Amino acid sequence: MSDRVDLQEFVGAFVAEADELIASANGLLLEIEAANAQGGSKPRAVRDLFRALHTIKGLAGMIGVEPIVELAHGLETLLRSADRGGGTLRRAAVDVSLQGIAAIAERVRAVAEQRSVAEAPDPLLELIAATDAQADRRPAMTPIIAEWDARLTPGERHQLGSALAAGAHAWTVTFAPSADNAERGITIVSVRERLAALGDIVKVQPRVTPGAASSIAFDILLTSEADAAALAEAAATTFDRVVAVSLPVPAISEPAGEPEAPLLDMSDEGPTAIGRSLVRVDLARLDELQEQLSLLIVSRFRLEREIAAHAAQGHDVRRLSEVAALQGRQLRDLRRAILRARTVRVAEVLEPLPLLVRSLARAAQREVRLEIDARDAELDKAVADRLLPALVHLVRNAVDHALESADERVARGKPRTGTVHVRCSEISGNRVEIVVEDDGRGIDRAAIAQRVGHPIDDDRELLAVIAAPGFSTRTVATRTSGRGLGMDIVKRIAVDVLGGELTLATVLGAGTAFTLRVPLTIAVVDVFSFECGSQAFVVPVSTIEEIFELSAEPAMQPPMSAGTASPVRMLERRGHAVPVMSLGTLLAIDSGANARKAIVIRRDGAPVAFAVDRMLGRHEVVVRPIDDPLVKWPGISGATDLGDGRPTLVLDLAARGLVRERRV
Amino acid sequence: MASLHVTFRVGTADYAIPADQVLHLESFSSATHVPGAPPYVAGLVQVRGRVVPVVDLRARFGLPPIEHSLDRRVIVVQIGTRVAGLLVDSAREVMSLDAASFEKPPELIEQQASGFVTAIAAVTKRLFLIVDVPRVIGEELAQ
Repeated sequence: MSDRVDLQEFVGAFVAEADELIASANGLLLEIEAANAQGGSKPRAVRDLFRALHTIKGLAGMIGVEPIVELAHGLETLLRSADRGGGTLRRAAVDVSLQGIAAIAERVRAVAEQRSVAEAPDPLLELIAATDAQADRRPAMTPIIAEWDARLTPGERHQLGSALAAGAHAWTVTFAPSADNAERGITIVSVRERLAALGDIVKVQPRVTPGAASSIAFDILLTSEADAAALAEAAATTFDRVVAVSLPVPAISEPAGEPEAPLLDMSDEGPTAIGRSLVRVDLARLDELQEQLSLLIVSRFRLEREIAAHAAQGHDVRRLSEVAALQGRQLRDLRRAILRARTVRVAEVLEPLPLLVRSLARAAQREVRLEIDARDAELDKAVADRLLPALVHLVRNAVDHALESADERVARGKPRTGTVHVRCSEISGNRVEIVVEDDGRGIDRAAIAQRVGHPIDDDRELLAVIAAPGFSTRTVATRTSGRGLGMDIVKRIAVDVLGGELTLATVLGAGTAFTLRVPLTIAVVDVFSFECGSQAFVVPVSTIEEIFELSAEPAMQPPMSAGTASPVRMLERRGHAVPVMSLGTLLAIDSGANARKAIVIRRDGAPVAFAVDRMLGRHEVVVRPIDDPLVKWPGISGATDLGDGRPTLVLDLAARGLVRERRV
Repeated sequence: MASLHVTFRVGTADYAIPADQVLHLESFSSATHVPGAPPYVAGLVQVRGRVVPVVDLRARFGLPPIEHSLDRRVIVVQIGTRVAGLLVDSAREVMSLDAASFEKPPELIEQQASGFVTAIAAVTKRLFLIVDVPRVIGEELAQ
């Protein structure tokens, strides 16, 4: 049992790390593509990408997910060749790499959700293997073989480099001596002479070929203006032994590129840089830390009361008070530090957006520029995770529906390229404001008013209309209205899940801005949901000792005093008597006849079981306190939204009063 | 002095409450039952990111429950820091009512309505009962 738990933990760590590496890899590919578009290259990004895939491969290997290993290996090979070839990754190779990473991401999801992982698709693996990092630059170049790389002296490297800079090509020719060749007078000496006549030999490298007819072969590295056919003839060999090679000296092969960075550069290049000093921590552990801190704060209040009591008795408490005051400041700092540990940079949260925009823009055949301006804003990880899907929706709508085609834009006197601007800043009241703005066609209020059949006076009403569940703008969206697709989801996340606000400002023909204002932090609780008397409830996982199946045979009924409304029965559990109560009868919502499961909690250290109908699932939810006297009742600690837009009660089964006061 | 009132209907009577106590109106489909809550509490609803208890005015005013109706509305009110919903049969108009024209309810009515009605306004032959919102949402519970 315990090793299963360990493996689970490890899988969690794998998923977290792989997700991060995938995000970083996608970011790097986009950087490379941007550099390509400007006719440059990003050798350093290529190398980082290579390392990311290498790490993914290693991690996947450790937990034995072979399809991911295969995919990562293929990409790694492609990128190694790109790195060795001077750090250029052309568009075709970028596309293939994005496909490969998407396939890896899909399989990481499968691992995370404990589904079976699909095999690596052969066509994709073949495509990756057949892709040439430098295609559309120098055809048929393969990277210099590793032996050369390692064995060239600085002098030979220089010779090679200057020849290439002068426009020559580098080749590797393999000559295999054989009895046949020797009879015809073809030896390594004569081959050297003939090749020297065609170009400049840089190095000749003998090697042992295992299992071949001949046990020795010579690899000859030369620069030459001659073509492969002439070289093959000169070396009495075949085409496949004549290979054009590129050179791992970026300064020469990539005059436009960046200077070579040291291989293990640890400098911080923002969130995409790999090798940044990071420790991944399970959010639950930070929650635990926060809980411990609140206990500490409570005990500090007690300390202060004790000090005050001492002072009241006439004792000198000055020194004690000084220490207490110091401790108070330290607790505040600690609290701030813990909050900081839970936050992530918004810039990091928004990392998937460029990739999304790229693929959306391609699919919709739009020219789109995405501007992200998140400065140093930070957010609670729990908020960030919930917020991202809303932002994805908004950005998707902007690209798919709000932005016009390039021709249409030009016709309207707008720049060809549409802009989607995502801004984030901290505002007062511990909130962040995120604006997703486009310079597209704006939302046609009149058209939507006509569609829904009542007038819409302002943007606020417009938002209410387009964010109503089931409102579809499919017919209007693309031409007249601008957007609205899935706005109910955006609103639900911003308002119902995060307790924030969503506002809209749109100008017909000029663009639309959606503004989300959400709290920096929310309280997230891990809960089990269950059904009792056809009503769903949730209960925090941390309060539950165990859940077990109630057997068909009824529990024992101990003696009851007259007028007992919800009788306590009794079960044997691990040699002890455990009281069992029907939650349905306790809450007066059900007879308890359908109870199949028992939830065990501890009250004052002793186990107590509550019979419920059936368990539904496990969720991470945001709990809102219920404090209105109309609905305040022992055992009801709050309400949450399980995704249906209506409140579900959060129960505290250990609460005082839940059992006693109900037994009327 | 005339001030805006939100008017609504419960059973066969028309009611009005001061508009400055009203946050917004919502349509109503269902509420989450809260065990242990008073019988006139319809349950909890989620409106604009808030979880709000809803008082069923039919139950509160001693009327039998009605079948589901599309006309039913939740009038979300705020009294001090408390926010609650009033479930009514229908709510449509916002009217300007002059408090100077309000009359004290007849004694028999006042007794029967256990203080929920503070005054009666007569507007063009229609009678509006002015509702004591704090009392309806159980101000005594908040003590």
